[in-house]
Amino acid sequence: MQSLIERFTDLLEDGKVSASPLGLNVYKQGLRHDGGGRPLLAVFPETKAEVQAIVRLANEKRMPLVPVSSGPPRFHGGTACKTDSVIVDFSRMNRILRIDPDNRSVMLEPGATFGAVIPALKAQGLRISTPLLPRANKSVVACHLEREPGTIPKYHYDHLDPLLTLEVVYGTGDDFRTGSASGPGSLETLKADKVNPWGPGSLDYYRFVSAAQGSMGLVTWAVLKTEVLPVIKRPYFIPVTDPGRLTAPMNELLRRRIVDECLALNRHTLAAILAGDDAREFARLQAALPPWTILLAISGYQRRPEERVRVQEKHLFDVGDRLGIAIEPDLPGLRARGAELLESLENPWPETPHWKLRSGDSHDIFFLCPMSKVASLILLMQELARDAGVNGEIGGYIQPVTQGRGCHCEFHFSGADPALARLSAEAPEALMNHGAFFSRPYGAWADLVYRDYAEGVAALRELKRIFDPNNILNPGKLCFE
Amino acid sequence: MTQLADYRHTMESCNHCGQCKWLLGPKTRGWRFAEICPIHAQFHFDAYSGQGLINIARELLEGRLQYEPGLINLIYSCTTCGACDVNCKSVRDMEVLETILAMRAKCVEDGQGPLPAHREMAERIEKNHNIYGHDHAKRQDWLTDEIKVSAESPVAYFVGCSASYMHTDIARNTARILNACGVDFTVLGGAEYCCGNPLWQTGQREAAARQVEHNLAVMRERGIKTVITSCAECFGALRNIYPRYSEPDFEVRHIAEVARDALREGYLNFQRPVDLKVTYHDPCHLGRCSEPYVPWQGEIRAFGLHVPPKQWRRGTNGVYDAPREVLRAIPGLELREMTRNEENAYCCGAGGGVRSAFPEQARETALDRIEEAASTGAAAVVSACPFCRSNLEDALTAEAQSMKYFDLTELITRAI
Amino acid sequence: MSLPKHIYEELEAVVGARYISDRPYILAALRQPLPNIATPPQSPEAVLLPGSTAEVQAIVRICNKYKIKYIAVISSLIVFAYPSEPGTIILQLKRMNRIEEINAEDRYAVIEPGVRHGQLRTELMHLGLSYPVASVGPGGSVLSNFACASGDNHNEYGSSRTNRYICGVEWVLPSGELLRVGSLATDSGWFCADGPGPSLRGLIKGFTGQWGGMGVITRIAIGLDHWRGPAEMPTEGRSPSYKIRLPRDCHRIHIFKFPDLGKLERAMVEVGKAEIGFSVMKFFNASAALLATESANDFWDLWNSGLFQRELARPLYVYLATQSPEEMAYEEAVLMDIIGETGGEPVDASVQRIYEDNMDFYILVGFLQRVLRLGGAWAPAKLSGDSIHHMFEVARAIPEFMTEFIDKGMILNAPDNFMITPGEYGHFAHIELLFLWDRGHPDWANIGMNFMRRSQETDIGHGYHSSSPPRTGAMLQRLGPLYSNCHVWAERIKQAFDPNNVSNPMP
Repeated sequence: MQSLIERFTDLLEDGKVSASPLGLNVYKQGLRHDGGGRPLLAVFPETKAEVQAIVRLANEKRMPLVPVSSGPPRFHGGTACKTDSVIVDFSRMNRILRIDPDNRSVMLEPGATFGAVIPALKAQGLRISTPLLPRANKSVVACHLEREPGTIPKYHYDHLDPLLTLEVVYGTGDDFRTGSASGPGSLETLKADKVNPWGPGSLDYYRFVSAAQGSMGLVTWAVLKTEVLPVIKRPYFIPVTDPGRLTAPMNELLRRRIVDECLALNRHTLAAILAGDDAREFARLQAALPPWTILLAISGYQRRPEERVRVQEKHLFDVGDRLGIAIEPDLPGLRARGAELLESLENPWPETPHWKLRSGDSHDIFFLCPMSKVASLILLMQELARDAGVNGEIGGYIQPVTQGRGCHCEFHFSGADPALARLSAEAPEALMNHGAFFSRPYGAWADLVYRDYAEGVAALRELKRIFDPNNILNPGKLCFE
Repeated sequence: MTQLADYRHTMESCNHCGQCKWLLGPKTRGWRFAEICPIHAQFHFDAYSGQGLINIARELLEGRLQYEPGLINLIYSCTTCGACDVNCKSVRDMEVLETILAMRAKCVEDGQGPLPAHREMAERIEKNHNIYGHDHAKRQDWLTDEIKVSAESPVAYFVGCSASYMHTDIARNTARILNACGVDFTVLGGAEYCCGNPLWQTGQREAAARQVEHNLAVMRERGIKTVITSCAECFGALRNIYPRYSEPDFEVRHIAEVARDALREGYLNFQRPVDLKVTYHDPCHLGRCSEPYVPWQGEIRAFGLHVPPKQWRRGTNGVYDAPREVLRAIPGLELREMTRNEENAYCCGAGGGVRSAFPEQARETALDRIEEAASTGAAAVVSACPFCRSNLEDALTAEAQSMKYFDLTELITRAI
Repeated sequence: MSLPKHIYEELEAVVGARYISDRPYILAALRQPLPNIATPPQSPEAVLLPGSTAEVQAIVRICNKYKIKYIAVISSLIVFAYPSEPGTIILQLKRMNRIEEINAEDRYAVIEPGVRHGQLRTELMHLGLSYPVASVGPGGSVLSNFACASGDNHNEYGSSRTNRYICGVEWVLPSGELLRVGSLATDSGWFCADGPGPSLRGLIKGFTGQWGGMGVITRIAIGLDHWRGPAEMPTEGRSPSYKIRLPRDCHRIHIFKFPDLGKLERAMVEVGKAEIGFSVMKFFNASAALLATESANDFWDLWNSGLFQRELARPLYVYLATQSPEEMAYEEAVLMDIIGETGGEPVDASVQRIYEDNMDFYILVGFLQRVLRLGGAWAPAKLSGDSIHHMFEVARAIPEFMTEFIDKGMILNAPDNFMITPGEYGHFAHIELLFLWDRGHPDWANIGMNFMRRSQETDIGHGYHSSSPPRTGAMLQRLGPLYSNCHVWAERIKQAFDPNNVSNPMP
């Protein structure tokens, strides 16, 4: 053990290696899916060369490396580690390397957080795809490497959007750049803006490291899409009682690309977001809100913003008339809170605890499905909660993805009720059997999705053998040993 | 006369784009009825297509491919409908159909073609001047007393083998229409020989030449200035093959055009309704293959420049509007269009000697066409070619289908 | 060499005698040199027409058993469809031609390889749906464009490259195993092609596809967009002079000319940032002249007139397709603001009318093959992508190597015959330089390769990302070290998944 610390200390400068038990405990915080242990030590690289040196040493020692980019709490267990691991903490590789307003892109190191990136982009008239109210210390690169969807489906062409190119250190210690970042030549001589994500050649290398929980390689920077920050944003809301009526308006509006933000929240989630940690306000809001609320935004950009808003509002109301639904300019029954809610979506969650953690530790269940299955899976989840003995409502939101050609459904619940733990354990299989796709299978979900997928597992393991032949990168995750 | 070697530019230019197999984009309407080549639709190998046939032609020309029975069968499985040619020419300066026909001629010259059925046909034509081998003396037996025919008119109705012997109602109806239109016309009677088209299409150019030259001499001798046909094959031959032998000194018109003009000018009136939903099948040789042949001799220079400029036959100016205008003028009749129509019409399956050599193949193509006709909701398919008629009617009968077939002349006659 | 009898019989037992042939006259249609290639390809030993995924699997297993190489093809339009060495068989997948499902609600279609653009696009128009139709013409295979080849298209500004639209993939691995990726992995339907976990979809396509080098893709689902045009193509006239006009209240074409590439670049960037327009591009001018004319002689008349060199040397094509006349008014106003700021001017009305009269240019590009009408050789150079800005950098360097070829009379004098197509409202752009040369030139066999090499050297010298290395072969070995050593990883992956190297190996 001592020799290992020394070896890492020899490699890295002072202060970049930590074996302090107190410091290491932070990596256990907020774990949910597979309850990891405390790592042996943590290293804090600041350059790609240091990352490569760490990987080479880990190969020599056959020492598992677990990458961490976001600050705690870490919900999904992708960074949960076994006790004999070394944490590669990217929090010091947190630079915003380049903001390119013309090409609408940003180049980030993995430790750059939403809390830092969003204001920096805003200052340049830009915004980045953001999942629903992420915590401020969440890594932008890690978030999108893990294919978390943002709240503006029209910018989501592909499940990997807004990720463009990246630099990765594979388990062999070799570095590699994807897409138009690949070359020709070195990063210093390459003139490309690194915004073409595909290739190089006939392979989409960036897809292999996506949703891999760091098991295929350690990403040292990434270029991501950004979008023009609207000059005007108008919120609109559609109250929905029957989940069966949730997707039709979203589908129609997304198909026609009328709206920017587009998601639906149930009253539990919406109340949690609006109330913060005020329990009385939470109860009041929960009683006042409809079962579901679709949140939409119409935007005007830099040129003729008022005219754009006027035209898209007309289209919005045309769709409402055609579908026979009321589209409200504010949250039903909550005057002036609509604009506040929309405003908050542009920013990370400002306070702790995170809105998902109002009652303590959070259970998340999330999956993808086609829009046509959203209603039946919501109803199934409600039924499963009842069957598990859950009292009251669980949180949930529906986030259309890939321009409405799919949907991210997320349910969350917190508290110490054993019924919730039961629901968390049992619901995924039932949901999967009814068409839910757990595309990012954390923890125990991995066994579920991979158990009848022998051909896919074989192919994934083949790739893992190529990129990480000694299996040092976050072993034990997904379908890997 | 052009030889296979004259089409080297075509053979070397093909880039395998597939346009010869598929309906042109602007005319496509869906998944079904999107194929345009009847042999490719049936056999699927690329060799069975315009592209494949010009590839084969190139290897034959360059001595890289040896004759064998399967090859001859393949070459003669093509209906020479020209769909590949028109489709290719929408985007390229290539002579796909001419290359295929020149390859057939080469097969004949090399003693490898045509197929026995085609040789027998040629023998019948040689002996009796008609494709059926019927008694030449009976060529004019279709003519009845009620029909007024002039002995001396410069306008001749060229009846053709099929209407003379097999579908004599077409001949009689055509004559009645001409009478109704007030057209003073003559018939050539025993002086009329087979138009030569079936020989030309099967590569038997010398035999075709004998028919063509005879007919041309007769017309010259009789001072014919306008030739009217009721048969698409004869029409196509007169416009496209005859000028290869001698500059024509007569105009060629199809009965559909004559009727259309008479309707416009008020010489013909439709009095009786024909309550029928129909769809019109464009015969290849009345439609896309009927554009007058314009000889070209010259040089193809760098980047495809043809010196002197070449007048291309791209299927644009076939006879498409006249039959439709006539049908639409018939009271009670509703005309519905098939997806593959006009220059993109799908072949009935009979042409190019296929019906005589490969009757099963011809029937399968006809059934495909009938399915398309039925998909329009029409109760009947109408056309203007006795060969299309035989093939489509036989398929309808064999499959006991409720759809009817009418020759255009029959519907016109009913409406007069 | 032909296949040993017992192997032929084994293959025949899979597909049936009707769907296999090794006759020379059948193979003649699969071994002709393309007009731009001097060396004829190897003849395949046999051609098969499998009818199902199970048949493909069985064939691939036999190929592995006997180390027979195979290439799965549809239209054979490009050089990778032809064998590069003896002992190769061709699998033509055209009998696998079903549109298995069109799901209008979830906006995807599941198709087999033999479904053509003309078929699918027009079926979808009836349902008010569309997808980015790659510029290959109506007879091109949709699956091939999306999953096996390149996939750039005239509409990628308002949509994207076709690979973005893949929603599900089923493919027969080079070993014969069947792999279904994305949501198919857990029988959750065809809507997502990524996951579970790392996305295996990355194996079949990067910037380009594998051209058959990673097994046989037998079914894909593609994502669908809203179609703002009529249910049927409003075609008037006859071949080759069709007119296809869309209603002007919501469909308008504007073409502007710019005094220099910098101003054109600025306009393209600003249009993208404003998120207006459905299709935006700088199009080729010689190719435009070929598309606009009906014979080589017509082309020469037009080209010699100088009109297209004058009007379309630096054009910005903008097709506005809106949902309402009000939106059209808004988008036109924004467009005119941008053009005013950037110094663009409308092109000659006669040029604009060509496109107003032929909107098929944005629907099926049914006349694409006219570009090849001059009958000689042609090739695209560049073929990659990055930002609009970078693609214009690449474009500015074109004269550095192209002028010499023009001055020496080796290629058509068309220095502006390149296209820059932005995608996803300008988030990336694609460049393609099309050059044409005549087979009558004494050095014609070498011109293409020399030109492409000079183009590549110029860009490498500048550090420009204007081409993407091929999937394997000698070229990859040469370029790979310059592109993050991608040759190492590409070869390892090929070796791991195709240990017998039977799936369309490249020389």
